[in-house]
This record gives sequence, structure tokens and C-alpha cells, in this order.
Amino acid sequence: MAVDYDPGLIGKVFEITDPVGVSAEDIRKFCAAMGETNPLYTDEAAAKKGPYGTIVAPPSYAVTFRNGRHFFTHVPRYGRAGLDAGKDIEFHAPLRPGDKVTLSSHVKEIYEKTGRSGSMVFVVVRSTVQNQKGEVVAHIDHRFMNRP
Amino acid sequence: MATILDLHSHSEASEDSRAPLEAYLNWIKLRHHERPVDGIVLTEHRQFNAGADYRALEDKFGLMVLKASEVETDYGHVLVFGVTGEMTRRFDFANVRLSAQELIDEVARMGGLAVPCHPGRPNVGLCEHYGAKPPLNNVVAVEVLNGGSRKGEDARSMELVRRYGYRAVGGSDSHLVSLIALCATRFEAEVRSIDGLVRELKEGKYEPVDFRPKRKPVPAAVPDEVSHNGG
Amino acid sequence: MMKFDAVKIGDTLGPQEIYLSKDQVRTYARTCGMDVPRFTDDAAARAEGLPGMIAPGNMSLGMLSRLVTDWIGSSGARLARLGTTYRQPVQPDHTITLNGFVTHVEPAEKRVDIDVWIENEDAERLVIGTASVEFP
Repeated sequence: MAVDYDPGLIGKVFEITDPVGVSAEDIRKFCAAMGETNPLYTDEAAAKKGPYGTIVAPPSYAVTFRNGRHFFTHVPRYGRAGLDAGKDIEFHAPLRPGDKVTLSSHVKEIYEKTGRSGSMVFVVVRSTVQNQKGEVVAHIDHRFMNRP
Repeated sequence: MATILDLHSHSEASEDSRAPLEAYLNWIKLRHHERPVDGIVLTEHRQFNAGADYRALEDKFGLMVLKASEVETDYGHVLVFGVTGEMTRRFDFANVRLSAQELIDEVARMGGLAVPCHPGRPNVGLCEHYGAKPPLNNVVAVEVLNGGSRKGEDARSMELVRRYGYRAVGGSDSHLVSLIALCATRFEAEVRSIDGLVRELKEGKYEPVDFRPKRKPVPAAVPDEVSHNGG
Repeated sequence: MMKFDAVKIGDTLGPQEIYLSKDQVRTYARTCGMDVPRFTDDAAARAEGLPGMIAPGNMSLGMLSRLVTDWIGSSGARLARLGTTYRQPVQPDHTITLNGFVTHVEPAEKRVDIDVWIENEDAERLVIGTASVEFP
């Protein structure tokens, strides 16, 4: 018994964001919030000698562009709103201070299963994060869980 | 000769697992002193891969890999052992609203055995459904030891077993490599095939076995100096 | 400095025991634009059917990512892949434990696969995941 959805949704890009800046201050604040002490992310002098020649953002910074107050528009919903059920991320290039990134997103998959909290419809949205040079920073699969 | 099998595991073929089968077998070999199983049963969610042949891996690691399925019913999740083509034609394994009674009766008629798993789990376990609907007929065994259980869930399963006289099995319900074979089932007889497993589950002697290491307690209380009034 | 050749299946990351405070969760939520009530306020979270305020999934992902990058240290390796599944809410004012195990070593790609998870005081695994690390 499949979930009812428009198969035309799958694979079609539904959103390309305006460029979002990543400043040194943004990275510093993120590191402080995460309790990050790794010198590659927090210590300019040490990071200069590291593999990137500069401070970079911790990898998990890449998931912060589309959440909370900046949630996706036009994600198919089933019943009660989508909860974050998990993510799968492929990291390609680091985020550096001064980067401007865009996210391009499409629905990858929709499926149904049952769990402790009842019947659930999962919507998987795949976002590609690119920097101003067109390099792929990360591919992120967001799994949203909806309760019909 | 006794046989110990982890009756409940998910490889990366299941949508919510990221564990390659070979890594499972490698891990068991590495930790065999603490998890002495003879093999595992892959119970992929809502599917059965009739064509999959694991003989080469079985030979490489000296471990048995049997195939079953975990399907979803109106009484919660159920492990189906001894899946046949007749069964997968009769039931759409992807349907999350199968009739548990039909499944149990038909699977038995076709020579297999349907075993409700994690009965103590809310919504997807038997216990909660038995509170609201009549109990199922012809249940032989249920899974009372499940490696993914939350606190209290396995105790609820044990209560059900005592009340209804079901037989009890165990499985890791592993979705990660390092969690494989932490819970299993010990059979008195030798089990060498899926048919042998079904026969033993129906007629043999077996019990769940727990290989989880004893964990040192972590302080649960909120330390005074870092306590916050959450408001 | 950790070298690829020295990494073995069964190597551990952590365990790291962390007492997660409500203020830490609120700070993360505010910093990352996630300051919605379920991540900042007990009463509002309960009104949504949650046990109290919870940590954002992204924060759990961040902690597991940090477990791996701490392990990588200055070896020059990089986190290439991370997948997480949120099974149960992570609640602040509790001690959580971050765990990791190396489960596979792929010499051809100089890649290491790792299981990671967060568990609570009852050893319930709240968040599970896997990571891949690539060595230079």
C-alpha cells in the first residue's frame, strides 16, 4: 500500500536559495555554541598550518542553513508537521570564512512505515550546498517524519 | 549440538540501517569471545530478497546467514521465518497494515512461522494491541529480548509470555555493525538452515540469551552546581 | 599523530560523557536560528507532547560530528560522510554518552567506517549513526 503522492515531485528541484554568507564571526559563534575546541576551527594560527590554510567551519555547520526559522518551503506534508528524523551527509569541500553558499533542493523519496509513535510518512529531501565558486560543499539528505 | 542465532538484524538493505552484511560478520568474528553466535538471521524491513545468496560470505567467516523478513501488521511488527514465493505472492510485504491473524495462519499453513517482535514496544508491539483488541490465535513464540528496547519494554514482553504461555526468543534488532549479536536465541538442537530454524522454533527447545556487557552506571541526577531552572 | 595504517576494526571513539544543560541547548538553538519553543522552553515543549524541551537533531548530529573530528585530531584525515537517525528525543539536564567504534577499514580508499551513537543514563540509544573518514 503505497503513500499517495505526485510522482512528478520526485527529483524536481523545488527551491534554490539566495546566497547565504558564512563569516568568521558566524563560525566563531557556532564553535562557541557547540563547545568546539578543535584548533582547525577555532585557532587562526594553528589553522594556518593545517590542511586548509585557514579556519574552516566544523563539518556540521553545513546542516544549519535550512532549519528552524529557515525551513524549506513546499515540502510535501502528511498530517502533522515534519519532524527531523535524521540526515545523511556527504562532505566534499570545507566551509571557509567569506563563503557564500546556495542550497538547491529536491524530494528524493517518500515512503511509509510504522513505529513507536504510530504510522509515519517519511519525506527525504536532498539538498546540494554549493559555494560561490560552484564547488559542492555537501550533499545533505534530510529525512522528515510526518504523522498522518 | 546447541546453536546460537541472532534472530533479528537489519543490513543496509533496510532503509534505516547502514550496516553492510560483511561488516556484521567481521564484527562477530572479532567479538566472538563475548558474542558466541553461530550466525544471524537478516530480517529486512518490509521485504524479502529471494535471490540473495550469502554462501561465499558464510564460508569466508564460518558463520550462518539466514534470510527472513520483518513485516508490519495491525498488531505490530512480526518476524516471518521460512518465507516462500507463495507467501510473498499472498502478502504484499511492503503493506504496513497487514492482518496479523491472517499472516500468522497463512504463514504456518505455508510451512513458515510468524513471530511477533518487541511486543512491549508502544504501538508496534502486541502488548498495547492486546489491551484494545482480542488476543491473536496460534501465536507460538514472541521476541522478549530485543536489543533496541527501551527501559521496561522487554519486561512488558516477559509479562505477556507468562500470561499467554508463548515461547520466547531474542534478537539484537541491530541497525549498526557494532550492535550485532548482542541479543540472540540458544537452541538445544543443531540448526543448519532456515527450514531447520522454523522446525526448531515450532517444536524444539530454546531460550533468549543476552550478551550485552554490564554497563557502569552513569549518574542520572542533575548535579546541583549545573542545575538550571528550565521554567 | 594518528596514521591510517594504525587504525583497526574495533578501535573506540570516546566514550565521552557529557552533561547537557538547558542553557547549552538554548544557545545552540539561538545561534543556529532554531529558537523555536520545543528547543528552548519546557512548558511549550510539553504542550507539543514532548517530555520537556529537547535538543535539536542538528545539535546531536553536531556532537557526533565532533566526536569524529576530535578522534581525527591533527592527522589530516577528513570527515567524508555522516548519517544520523534520531530515535528518541535528547533531553537536556541529563548525562549523555557519545560512543564510537571503527567497524571497517578500506585500505584501497584509505577510508575508515565508524558507528556512532548517543545514549542516555539507561543505555537507551537516542541517536545512532555512521561516519566515514578519509585519510590523506
